[in-house]
Parts: sequence; C-alpha cells; structure tokens
Amino acid sequence: MKRTLTGGLVALAVFALPAAADTAAPVEAWAPSTFSLDNGMQVVVIPDHRAPVVTHMVWYKVGAVDEAPGKSGIAHLFEHIMFQQTDNLAPGEFDDIVSRNGGQSNAFTSWDYTAYFERVAKEQLGTMMSLEADRMVNLVIDDDPEGAFISERDVVKEERRQRIDNNPGVILQEQVLSTLWKGHPYEITVIGNMDEVAALTPEDGLNFYHEYYSPENAILIVAGDVTPEEVRTLAEENYGKIVPTGTAHGQRKWQNVPLLTENVTLTHTDPKVRQPVWSRYYNGVSQYRTPEEANALDVGLEILGGGMTSRIYQALVEQQQLAINASTYAWTDLHDEGPAVISASPAPGVSMEDLEAAVMSEIRKALDEGFTDEEVVRARNKLAAQAIYARDSQSTMANIFGSTLAEGGTVEDVLSYPDRVRAVTTEDAIAAVRKVFAPDRHYIEARLLPAGEEN
Amino acid sequence: MKYATLAAGLLAATSLASCAAFNPPPTEVPALVETVAAPAPLEVTVHSGDFAEIQQFTTPGGASVWLVSEPSIPILSLDMAWKGGEAADPEGLEGLADAVVYNMNEGAGDLDSLAFQTRMEDLNMSFGCQSSNDWTSCSASMLTDNAEDAMALVATAFADPRFDEGPFERFRREQQVGLKTRETNPGYLAWQAQTQALYPDHPYARTKTEESIAALTPELAKEQMRKLMVKDRLLVTAVGAVTPEQLAPMIDEVIAGLPETSELPETQDIILPELEPSGPVVVDLPQPQTLVQFTGPGLKRTDPDFFPAFVLNYTLGGGGFSSRLMETLRVQKGLTYGVYTGLSYGEHLQTWGGGGQTKNESAGEFIRGIKEEMQKFVDEGATAEELDDAKAYLTGSYPLGFDSNAKIASQMMGVRQDEMGIDYFDRRNDLVNAVTLEDVNRVAAEYLDPSKYLFIAVGQPEGIDVEEFESEDAAVAAE
Repeated sequence: MKRTLTGGLVALAVFALPAAADTAAPVEAWAPSTFSLDNGMQVVVIPDHRAPVVTHMVWYKVGAVDEAPGKSGIAHLFEHIMFQQTDNLAPGEFDDIVSRNGGQSNAFTSWDYTAYFERVAKEQLGTMMSLEADRMVNLVIDDDPEGAFISERDVVKEERRQRIDNNPGVILQEQVLSTLWKGHPYEITVIGNMDEVAALTPEDGLNFYHEYYSPENAILIVAGDVTPEEVRTLAEENYGKIVPTGTAHGQRKWQNVPLLTENVTLTHTDPKVRQPVWSRYYNGVSQYRTPEEANALDVGLEILGGGMTSRIYQALVEQQQLAINASTYAWTDLHDEGPAVISASPAPGVSMEDLEAAVMSEIRKALDEGFTDEEVVRARNKLAAQAIYARDSQSTMANIFGSTLAEGGTVEDVLSYPDRVRAVTTEDAIAAVRKVFAPDRHYIEARLLPAGEEN
Repeated sequence: MKYATLAAGLLAATSLASCAAFNPPPTEVPALVETVAAPAPLEVTVHSGDFAEIQQFTTPGGASVWLVSEPSIPILSLDMAWKGGEAADPEGLEGLADAVVYNMNEGAGDLDSLAFQTRMEDLNMSFGCQSSNDWTSCSASMLTDNAEDAMALVATAFADPRFDEGPFERFRREQQVGLKTRETNPGYLAWQAQTQALYPDHPYARTKTEESIAALTPELAKEQMRKLMVKDRLLVTAVGAVTPEQLAPMIDEVIAGLPETSELPETQDIILPELEPSGPVVVDLPQPQTLVQFTGPGLKRTDPDFFPAFVLNYTLGGGGFSSRLMETLRVQKGLTYGVYTGLSYGEHLQTWGGGGQTKNESAGEFIRGIKEEMQKFVDEGATAEELDDAKAYLTGSYPLGFDSNAKIASQMMGVRQDEMGIDYFDRRNDLVNAVTLEDVNRVAAEYLDPSKYLFIAVGQPEGIDVEEFESEDAAVAAE
C-alpha cells in the first residue's frame, strides 16, 4: 500500500543481513561500496546484476522520535506531503513522471527514519535522482485551508483507522507500547494521535522540512544493476549540487528507555474479538546500543519461542494443548530499547489465568535448565542463513543498509552480522534471556478479550 | 566447491542450444557435459527470452520442468503445482485440501512432526504447501550447499507422509478457532456476501463448518493427497544455482512416490447472474471504517479483449496514484487511504472488481464516487493520453517482476498454469502496446456499467439510501 508506515504497530521483521564469505558466490560480485558527497550526503551502492533494474532510495535521519510535543504524526504526514508539489512540479506530477517511466515509488516512516524509494529500469536512475533531489529542496506546501495539505491529512486519518482503529489487537498494542515507552519520544505511535494529526498545519510541515530535509541529513542507497562509478557520477550531478540548508542540526532525540517500575495490566475488550490473546511485554535491548546482547537475545528467544520447534510451543501447544499458539520475540532493531514479548492464545475453554500460569511455568523451567549447545547452533545458523536468503531481493538489501545507516550503524555492522551472530555462545544466549525476563523485572500484561469477558 | 564448478561448465553448454519450436529428437541434441548425477543425457531446450533464459526439460522420471540457472546467489527456489484443489473437496468434507497441505511438512518416514521441522531448521531450508480453489502447490527454498539433503527431505514428505494424529488434531483445533475469527473478519464477510449473491450453489461458495472439520480424518486426507498430487498433472519451475543435470535426479527422487494419475471432479464454469437494480449489500460489523468491495463480470485470459481490459484497469484503479479512482477519492476528496481495482481470470470464474475503505460516515459518498467514475468511462471512455500513460507504465515496469529468483519462479509458474506459452514474457509488452483507444473504450462501455456490479459494504456504513440498505442485506446477513 502506498505511503506505508513501517516500524509502526506491526511486528518488526527479524534482522536479515548479508552473508559472510562462506558462500559459493564470490563476495566482490555483490559487496556494497560506500562514499560521501562533498555536501555530506552518504551513498551506498549494492550491485546485483541479475535483472536490468535498480532500487533507488533516499533515507532521512528523522522519524517520529524527533517530533515536537503536541505534533505527533508530523514526520509521517510530511512524508505524504513530499509527493505533492515543488517549484518545478505541479500537484500529482511526481507520480505521473515515475509511472510514465515504468517506475514504482513509495515511502515509509518509522520512529527512527523516513525513507523514499523508486524501483525502475536502470536507464531511468538519473531521472529518479533528479526527482528526489528536486523535492529535497524545492517542496511547495499548499496553505489553502481547503487545499492539498488538508485533504492529505484526511487521508492519513483514514490510514490510521485502517491500520489501528479497525483492529482490536492493534488498538491494544498501541496502548501497551505507550505505557512501555512512557515519557520516551517513542511513546506516541508513528502515525500520531488522531487529535494531534487533525490539528497539524501547513506551517508545521514547512518547519519540519526546514529542520530536517537537507543532504547532510540524508543517505542515498542504490541497489541493482549499476556500478559504484555510475552511481557516483549521477549522484554528484543530481545531489552533489545541493547546498546544505545549515538548519538541519542532525540532533536526534534518542535516549535510553527506563525500566518499568511496576507491573501493569491492560485489557481491551471488543465485540470483534473472537479469540483471546495474552501477552507480557518486558523491557528489551537494542541492536544499536548493545549489539552483542541484542544478538544473544535474538538467539535465545528463537530457542524459547521462535517457532514450532521452540520450547514453549512444544510444551503448551503440542504437549499440554492449553494454547493454540505460543511465542517469544523482541524488537531489537529500533535505536532505543523496544519490548521483549511473551505471547500465547488459549485453547478453547482455557482461562487467561491458567494460560498465564502454564506459560510462565514453562518459561521459568527453560530459564532454569538453560539451553543446549545444539539448540544454540541451530538458532544462530537460522539467523545467519537469513542473510543469504535476503540477497534474493534488492529491496530487502537496500532496506537493511538504509535502516542501519539511518540509525547510526555502519556498512561494516551489516557485513559482520552473520559472524557476530555465529559468535553467540550458549552462555550468552541464556544470560540475555534470563536478564530480560528476570523475576525482579516488571512487565505490562496485555489481555485481548471478546466483549463481555472482562476477566 | 563441487556445485559452483559444475554450474559454470553446464551453463556454457546449455546456452549453446536455442529455443526450438519443437523438441528435437534425442539423437540431435548436442551432448551435454556428463556428470555423475545424470547418467543419461537430458534433453534440454533453452529459450533465451528477454527476461529470462528458460531451460525446459522432462526428467527421466517424467516431471516437466522450467529452470532458470542463476549462479550469483547460492540458493534454490522450487515451485510445484497440480491442477485441482479445494473445489475437489467432497461435500461435507470442506477443509480436506487444507488438511492435506497443512500436514505435508508435519512428519514423514522416520521423522515425526518435531523431528521433521527440526531437520528443516538444521538444513536452513523451508518447505510447505498451499491450496486454492483450482490448484494445489508446494514450494521449497534451500541453500545450494546442502540442496541434495534438502531435496531428500522433501522427497520423504511425498513418498511417506505420516499424517499423524497429533498434528492432525492441532490442525482441527486451529480450524475451529478460524471458524470463530472469520465471523468478524471484514474480508471474509465480504467474500461470503459475494458468493451468496452471485454463485451460492457452486463449489467455490462452500465454506468449512464445524461439522466438516470434525468429519476430516488423517486417512481421508492421505487418500486425497494421493489424488491431488500426481505425476501427470505436475508442473515444476525452479530458479537457482543449479543446472538441469543436477536438478533432474533430485526432482525424480521427490516425485518417485507419487501416483501416475487420478480422477478429480470437473468444476463447472460460473456465469454471473444479471443483477436486479438494488443498493449495496450491507454486512454489519462494529468498527469505525467500512470496507467497500464491488464485483462484476470479467474476461478470460484468452479473450481478445483481455489486454484492452488489462490496460483500461490501470487507468481505472490498477495501482498507481494516477488512476482515476485514486485521483478522485483519495487525492481530491481525502476519503480513503487506497482504492484499487483488478481483473481475476481463473479458468471457471472471471471477475472485474475492486475495493477500498472509508470511515463509516462517508461510505455512501465513497460508493457513489466509485459508481460515478465507472459511469464516466462508459459515457466518455479514456483519453489518448491516459492510454499512453497506461502502456508506458505497464510495459516499462514489467522488468521489475524479474529481479529475484523467487519472483521468476513464480512468474514462470503463472505462465504454465495459464498455458500462455514459453515465449509469453517476450510477447507480453507487444500485446499491451497493440491495444487501441477504440479497444479500450469499447471494453469500458461493455464492462464498466456500475449497474452490473454487486457492491458490498462491511462495517456500519452511513449515507446509503434506506431502500438500498434494506434491499438485499437480509438475505446475506453476517453469521
């Protein structure tokens, strides 16, 4: 769906990163190269010569985390506005030009970044760059009270209804995350509070543009059938001439997420709910703040609740048959600490209390027993192998490098991921899980229930 | 590395052959490199097309395969499909094809469910099956380093699937939960309203019930598996770092246990009924937004007007922001996050339809807006500029569908299922470019009359005329 929102109220994809050198294909054929333009814009080129196609992305180091109080949703609404009008392009012309050139364009906003992309035949790469460069400096925001900014605001309100308000499970998750991140800039979800979005003005959009949209605050990623030399020439021609605004300060509002200080239970009942869900959200860790710990946690949660072969799935779904699903996962790829989650859905006739007791008993048992070396090797190989499968999609590769760099990581961080995840020991994995689910850690318990079942 | 060196040599050898209109007799096939894996020379016809170099061959075991060798990434994507799917479920056993595909990776040979799943993880591979009305399909992804082991595991799933009581009981539990959750799923409710209004007695309208799920047994599922997955209806496509000579014996091992053929019930074609003049079907669901869907008659893939319709659909609501529905209902009026249309061209049912969501308060305005735009196409047609834009996008963006192994394997399977011919990828843009404004406007007048479309609104829509509201919904109220 056009103008989508990632990192919003959807489960974040597992980090899937490129492979180490132990694969059959020569590394040089696909290894990325990176350089910077004189105006500070970073560039990464990821060659993939299988089809005469490129994925062109511009990432801005700004997201919902950077919004001013009371202006929630401006990062995302502004992303929509970027498609509207410039000094050189009439309303709608951006999309028309991309489409007439056989291209597909879209954009997405997260807490930590905003990204714009075009997928297109390689001959059109220069045209796409000229369009992105144009709207980096020449955007026009319609301040007519009945104009395009206002109707786009209505579109975003419909988007919020479609993504969140129509879906009881997502409504509850929004409440849970706001509680987990209370007082942190992640507290309000990316798309924003409905009331605050409804009050955003064209002037808010213009201020946001001036504060954050400038080449030194941007990253160019090109994946596909190109060479670094071709990209450098085109990038210097199109982006290199842009003079930095001087107002983009590059200061991010990231901060550590404090630990919860009490247990909280949040219940959401809704006539649309037919199958209850029980979850516990604990404070987790971040790939950017404590990468070793984050990798160890990912490996540990894979063993504990990562799929059908995991400990709690086997115990609760297969053996005891108290649940129809049971899993654990962590949002480790936000810049600041996201949640580590235990979740289960009861078999018919099983109460939330009995389900909770059974799940937590299995978790404690697993944490007491520890993991076997065999389990750890299997889990870390699985995570490392995703790096090889990721190479089948140039969009996936562009997203991995773009998001990593936008959050302050490096190309080397991406390349070394398989080796680093393979270095996780059995002791590391169990220690990471024991820490986030320690008995003295507080949590938010979330209960999604059918209407009329308040307990 | 054995695979890498073999791949390089064989790619050079097979690319010498050209695409022939017929398979040359075996004696005339240039001798391919002998390998340990392929004792007899394999007849490979190479089609060097604009988007992929497709190697076409039949394995000694009888599987018809389209392979694109792609050495740059050490992975292999394999797709298998058989005509025949859920529509072949016997009455009273709705869910049987689901039970078959669910259990295909739940244990085989000596391996129970957990051991089978663990083995897949050890090999860093995936394997699973799916069913639709008319098709049963399986796909596997694996690393070429251990592709032989991965294919051997897939082979046991076909030769000796266990259909153990444990996973089968889990399937039934999940299905019972699914019966409950679908009651408030807007997409399911819209689908159900559509089938009940348009083809209530066809197998496509049948749904799983508590009784039908309870009646399913592992024995029935195993029996049905042997009917759905047979050698003579099997289509295979693959993309990856392998050669035909490497792949053929692995596929033969996979299909060795399949029956030669089977009888499945014929599926009747659906002729959509003429609609009585009436308002939208309303299905009540407590939520702030209304899902609007609309469905009318479509075209067969082989219809001479298919490509004019395909091109026109782009201008109507086929994707980009430039479509008339998006321009009017999203960009100008801010009524929706997205509104789309598409052609569905199955063998037995062809529809043209679309949908979008809007807040309940604007549902009536949204539906009227869609109808007005459709009527405009009937009255005035598209413009020459719109036609040019549509052709430019549809032809220019076509290569984007061929930039990954998984996409190419899936594109080839689509062409095989629709029987479009191995040169379809090369012809397709010419078919788009051949469409004239006269074609498009004739198709618009014939197909886009909004009175031929069934509109369905799921939610608590407002602004829909009272007589409309009461006209049909009683017959298809939500369960």
